[in-house]
Amino acid sequence: MALEMMMSGPDYMRDPRKHQFSPYANNGGTSVAIAGDDFVMIASDTRLSRGFNIFSREQDKVFPLTPKTMMASSGCWADVLTLNKVLQARLTMYSHEHHDMMSTTAVAQLLSTMLYWRRFFPYYVSNILAGIDEEGKGVVYHYDPVGHMEKLTFSATGESVSQIQPLLDNQIGGLNMLGVKPPTMTKDLARQLIHDAFVSAAERDINTGDGIIIHTITKDGKTEETVKLRRD
Amino acid sequence: MMEVVDNSYPGFQFSNFARNENLVAKGFPMPNSRKTGTTIAGIVFKDGVVLGADTRATEGDIIADKNCSKIHYLQPNMYCCGAGTAADLEMTTQLMASQLELHRLNTGRQVPVVAANRMLKQMLFRYQGYIGAALVLGGVDKHDSHIYSIHPHGSTDRLPYTTMGSGSLAAMSVFESRWKPNMELEEAKQLVRDAIAGGVFNDLGSGSNIDLCIITKDGATMIRPYDVANVKGQRQGKYEYKRGTTEVLSTTVRPIQIVAETVKKVTVEEMDTA
Amino acid sequence: MFLTRSEYDRGVNTFSPEGRLFQVEYAIEAIKLGSTAIGIQTSEGVVLAVEKRITSPLMIPSTIEKIVEIDSHIGCAVSGLVADSRTLVDHARVECANHWFVYNENMKVESVAQAVSNLAIRFGDSDDDGPAMSRPFGVAMLFAGLDKSGTQLYHMDPSGTFLEFGAKAIGSGSEGAQQSLQESYHKSMTLQEALKIALTVLKQVMEEKVSGSNVEVAAVTPEKGFHRYPQDEVEAIISGL
Repeated sequence: MALEMMMSGPDYMRDPRKHQFSPYANNGGTSVAIAGDDFVMIASDTRLSRGFNIFSREQDKVFPLTPKTMMASSGCWADVLTLNKVLQARLTMYSHEHHDMMSTTAVAQLLSTMLYWRRFFPYYVSNILAGIDEEGKGVVYHYDPVGHMEKLTFSATGESVSQIQPLLDNQIGGLNMLGVKPPTMTKDLARQLIHDAFVSAAERDINTGDGIIIHTITKDGKTEETVKLRRD
Repeated sequence: MMEVVDNSYPGFQFSNFARNENLVAKGFPMPNSRKTGTTIAGIVFKDGVVLGADTRATEGDIIADKNCSKIHYLQPNMYCCGAGTAADLEMTTQLMASQLELHRLNTGRQVPVVAANRMLKQMLFRYQGYIGAALVLGGVDKHDSHIYSIHPHGSTDRLPYTTMGSGSLAAMSVFESRWKPNMELEEAKQLVRDAIAGGVFNDLGSGSNIDLCIITKDGATMIRPYDVANVKGQRQGKYEYKRGTTEVLSTTVRPIQIVAETVKKVTVEEMDTA
Repeated sequence: MFLTRSEYDRGVNTFSPEGRLFQVEYAIEAIKLGSTAIGIQTSEGVVLAVEKRITSPLMIPSTIEKIVEIDSHIGCAVSGLVADSRTLVDHARVECANHWFVYNENMKVESVAQAVSNLAIRFGDSDDDGPAMSRPFGVAMLFAGLDKSGTQLYHMDPSGTFLEFGAKAIGSGSEGAQQSLQESYHKSMTLQEALKIALTVLKQVMEEKVSGSNVEVAAVTPEKGFHRYPQDEVEAIISGL
């Protein structure tokens, strides 16, 4: 009896199912950035996927913006590409209008403004911006898809954020430990943490794997390094 | 006095069904069961059958078990690979194993593979797909070598080679290009390994190691793992904490007080063995 | 005034056969009727000083505003049709505020001049943004400001042309004033010296006797940004001339 009451009749008696417009796809991707006193490192995994399928094993998700800033984007890949294209155009327009390269802080604010502009049809993208600021120090900016911005010294975003962010909070932020001082960030430590964070994420998250590309920015320029991850 | 719930009826309990439907309708989500995105496969070769499976179990996008066993025992001459809801696979194969064993004892002879297939499909059909089990059944009996694929709603196919699970297309592509009748054992093992590897590397629901099970008229051999297809990445740092790193916020010691003590005598009923 | 004046001085977008836009030239002439304004750029800051014409003793001098704040780091002195300048100043303020909103940084002085120039030369166009402006703006402006390239002084005239200057005078006394500035300006000038020179030059070219109430003085410095000089401070400088 109870069973009959709960089922709201046969399917032809129920309300018709609405067909919804679904313009977004989730193509995975995880990014990490760590800033030091005179450098910043920004890395992402190289797997591009949808559902259980791998689209690419070697897709860098970190984009160069200016000689001093880079942005890591992941989420809906179509939106990642479009956002970057529009941002690149805005950067070029700025340099033409103002005869100057955009500073990292200006790029950071511009990105926030651009994302909020699409408040009610957002770019489905998780972003981290990394750069060298006007004082020559490394900075990291973290964004949500509609333009909330936070200036940090380290951050993770994307598919494996729940695996990686707690590790960084603990190892860099010194959180949840008694009598442990946060370390001073060096390039070696940053590289090690990025490497280990991705190795661990690849162990437990099906969307993270194949490889990582680690970009380093200093006042002297940019370098990059590729690391292999498990491919299953 | 509390009523003791009578669990003695056989089969599934549906007493919470209406309550759960009600909760879902009010926005309280059902807990998720563990479903294994999987690659499983089986082929017939000259002397018997080879079954193969990956070892990844997932809960959504998270890997719940990096080395789970997906090739289940049914009879000494019969094994069964499972893809789908982990609990359903575990319970269904255990149930089948005991029923087949009873059947073997009752009939006094080796159970033919067709019988296992028939019992499985009848059980799955009865539950109308609600038992989320997709199986590759393999075995050798006095008649022949058999590979069956069994779908959750109860349909079955007897085939010379088959694959199932989320990595089935990747694995099948390997069989379609390389399977041939009357293969030698080593060639058959390599083929099944490569088929499972196809799923492991190209299907995100499958991963980790490759298990094989070889069944011939002389019996079955489980090889677990047959191939460690993925080596765990090496960490560069050490992440150990000194004793006392986790802060103890407060400590309270409460002695246990015995308020009363009762002893009850239990009378044992003798079993009627007459 | 112009020997070749003809029907070509009617349309604002019509060149004369000699290649001149008369309405623009007339607008530039209009500046020469305006009160004198002076800007001097030094390494310590930029000074702006303008003459206020008190045409009646019943006028309240403090209501004349010819130096305005564009943003905390940019000030602007105007000469010519002051009413026209309000539109341009509003535009400059909006551009600065928008630049801060989008980029979280101060707009460069040159960029402000560029933005105002873009509006100044939109006479005669009608587009999606609205109908045409019937004539050029009859106003010249001095933008004094501070940005990442240091202190700067920009001048813009009704043709939309804008140029950077060390020192610049506009308005009715501009010819004489510019001559004086050329003689006394040097790069290593202090802000105090610049203030003195600005008021000295104003004193030379003004018809009235210079006082604390008939000049307006402001400066942009790294320490205080844009700020005006109160009347007593202006009087103190004048008495020391």
